Amino acid sequence: MSKMLLSILIISTLSIPPISLIGKKARRERLFLSTFTILVLLGVFILSIISLLDMTQRDGVLTSLGSLSSPEKPEIRADLLSIYMTVIYLGICLLAFIFSAKIVPRSRSVTYFLVILGMLTSMVGVVFSEDFFTLFIFWEAMCICSYALVSFDRERGEPIEASYKYLIMSSAGGITILFALSFLYGLTGTLNFQYLSESLSQTEGNLLLNLIILMLLIGFGLQAGMAPFHTWLPDALCAAPSVISAFLSACTEKTGLYCLLKVFFAISGSLYENWRVPIAIFAVFSMFIGNLSALLQDDLKRLFAYSTIANTGYILAGISIGSFRALAGSLFHILNHAVVVALLFLCVGVYIRQARTRNLRLIAGIGRTMPLTSFAFIIGVLSLATFPVLNIFWSELMIITAGWEAGFAWLSFLIILNLIFSAAYSLRIIEWVLMKKTTYISRRVKEAPPLMIIPILILALTVIMIGIYPAPFQRLTERIVESIFLSK
Amino acid sequence: MPLINYVACSVILFFIGVYCLIVKRNMIRLLMGLEIMMNAANLNFIAFSKMAVEGASHPLAHVFTIISISIGGCVIALGLIITLYAYRHYGTLDVRELRRLKH
Repeated sequence: MSKMLLSILIISTLSIPPISLIGKKARRERLFLSTFTILVLLGVFILSIISLLDMTQRDGVLTSLGSLSSPEKPEIRADLLSIYMTVIYLGICLLAFIFSAKIVPRSRSVTYFLVILGMLTSMVGVVFSEDFFTLFIFWEAMCICSYALVSFDRERGEPIEASYKYLIMSSAGGITILFALSFLYGLTGTLNFQYLSESLSQTEGNLLLNLIILMLLIGFGLQAGMAPFHTWLPDALCAAPSVISAFLSACTEKTGLYCLLKVFFAISGSLYENWRVPIAIFAVFSMFIGNLSALLQDDLKRLFAYSTIANTGYILAGISIGSFRALAGSLFHILNHAVVVALLFLCVGVYIRQARTRNLRLIAGIGRTMPLTSFAFIIGVLSLATFPVLNIFWSELMIITAGWEAGFAWLSFLIILNLIFSAAYSLRIIEWVLMKKTTYISRRVKEAPPLMIIPILILALTVIMIGIYPAPFQRLTERIVESIFLSK
Repeated sequence: MPLINYVACSVILFFIGVYCLIVKRNMIRLLMGLEIMMNAANLNFIAFSKMAVEGASHPLAHVFTIISISIGGCVIALGLIITLYAYRHYGTLDVRELRRLKH
């Protein structure tokens, strides 16, 4: 099943240029391309949901223990966690494609669809791979696609600059991962996850092993926007077109967090115990830097980029607590934050398209002229402020209570302190959008076309739905954590 | 030669690359720093591949190294393209001049 999913994605990525040639003949290039990608993604999305439901019914553990291939062989296999991540990626990519079907510049639509589909394919490859060899190839493919996407708008200076910064920092992170992998290979002679976890569970954890784990943490954490290495993130998310920022912050970062989960819970075994406090310190740094920088930001995209860093901090806090409920909370938060941040960036994209600005002061009072978009926007912002009965509230609650139970009370207290900051800037946004007097810009704007409104409303409804009825999602994430712990 | 020499050499190369990333201000030199770091990791892989199996070299590391060299080539090519665009915009290769972004 997983191989079929991945090969459909690879084949459809490669068939983008021929389809654009056919489209060029019919003078309907963009229409052809967007219809094709949306249909393919819809099919793959339904397929992945079916296999997710199938795997939750089945006992996923027995299949993973049954076949053990040779330590050299690269391997592609899907467990419950990777299918869960795939569903998130595909859903958000589908909505982002529907959103951008009409607004991609005609002359560059081939590049756009090719690179985004390639990035999606490589992210799915990252979560499906069972050894570091395959993972690293897909990881670098994903990074190369995302550098190209950040500098998509190459006529202006800002995207070029942000993309260069991102390229230097993120490739340095990637090379750090490669260096760590070379030492890991030298110590164990394999890169397969199962063999690695077997051979690392027997060792006592010397200095070199801890250094390797530190390098992996830095490399993957850099992509996830972990605090001391986060400086590329606000620039890149600001400079990229809004659809791409939504995609970067909702999916690419979550891939980094997925890899951290793999490193700490599938490979390092007992070494994880040494790393709980350092991860917690990184998490606290991320939360404070993200939330404090977001407090007085007027640039909406920069504000949400900083809040993304803060949310990475919450997820890392869940990883560092490491109990059953905390990990389930982290996974649930990955889903919730992906949905919310995609919603917010797409709404900002609508504002930028209609009002030509992303400054909060210039679009004051825009809620009166663009009611539908602003409704969805306010839902997203309220969810970011952890308003009860919206989705982020439930996952935060899981992480905080789990920290309290596991003896990390100081971490729970710091998370609660940070929630107050995030509530402060969220309320400030709501005040400017709804209460303030309209400016000369926000008085003249019109509501966006329906093709842009529909994905936003779908995301907003998802936020409300998960918020009102979180139980099945909580059960799903608990089931995934169970499978992680059992397969260890 | 014993293995430790190769490993020491690759660690030194890696830190030369890191030093280059921290100190240098020319956009192309930063990319060269990345290239040095990449080569350090690849050298490490090849050195360890001799040790894994007695009397022969392990194929996994060689395959990985070939693929990682090509990936590194892609990254550097993209970096050079971006450098070219930046040079057209700003007329300089000094990263200190690229300060349009707020911090």
